[in-house]
Amino acid sequence: MKIKAKLKNGVVKVKFLAKHGMTTYNMMEKKTGNRDDANFITHISATVNGETVWDASTSQFLSKNPIFKFQFQGIGAKGDKVVINWIDRKGKTKTGKGKIR
Amino acid sequence: MKRREFLNLTMGALALAVVPASVRAEDYRKSKPSVWSAKTVDDGIKALYGTSTIIEKGIKVKAPKVASNGGAVPVDFSADMPIKSIAVFQDADPESAVVVYEATKYSVNKYSIKIKMAKSGTITIAALGQDGKVYGAKVTLDVALGGCEG
Repeated sequence: MKIKAKLKNGVVKVKFLAKHGMTTYNMMEKKTGNRDDANFITHISATVNGETVWDASTSQFLSKNPIFKFQFQGIGAKGDKVVINWIDRKGKTKTGKGKIR
Repeated sequence: MKRREFLNLTMGALALAVVPASVRAEDYRKSKPSVWSAKTVDDGIKALYGTSTIIEKGIKVKAPKVASNGGAVPVDFSADMPIKSIAVFQDADPESAVVVYEATKYSVNKYSIKIKMAKSGTITIAALGQDGKVYGAKVTLDVALGGCEG
C-alpha cells in the first residue's frame, strides 16, 4: 500500500494505491472454473487520530491495483498519520500508514 | 495540559485507531447486500436509496470520452452540496455497483477512482443529500478495449 497525504490550505489530499488483484467472478470462472475464487476489496476506510475521514464499500469493478484519491478537512496536522484499513472478500485485512506532509 | 493527561489522551486515540473501521462506519455490503447484486443502474440506485429517480443537479462527473483501457477507466466526481453518501454505478459490467462512499463530517466531497468497464457504457453517480433527496450525474463514454471480461 502506498499512501501520500498532503496538507495545503487546510485541506488534506490523499492519494493511495491499494495493491490488490481485484478479480471478478467472471474472470475467475474463466481462469479456474470457480466463480467463488473471485477476490476483491470490499471495504476500505481511512482514519486520522482515531476519527474516520473516509469510508468506502467497494465492488469487483474497481480496477486492478486501484488508486484512490480523496480529501478531508478539519482534522489532521502535518506529521499526523493517515491510517488505511481494508478487508477483502476472503476476509483478509491490511493496514497501511502514511504521514501527512 | 499535564504530561500524564496528554499521554492518556494519546493512548486513548491510539486505542480507537485499532478498532476495525467496519464497527463504526456503515459497511454497505453488509447493510444493503441487494445493491451489489443489482444488474441495472436503476435497480442498484433503488436498492441503495429507495428510489431510482435522481435529480441531475449539484453533482459533477468527469471521465475520458474514449477510454483506451477498460480495465482502468479514470472517473473524477464531486458534490457541491452536503451529502450523506455518494455512489458510482455503470451499465457495462454484469452488476452495476462499483463503490459507495460514506461522507464523514471531515469529507471534502471530491473523489477520483479507476474502474473496470467491459464495454462502452454510461457511468452514473448517485448521491444522497443531507436533505434526503437523491442527486446524480451521468457520463457516457466509449471503451476501446474492454476490461477483464467484467
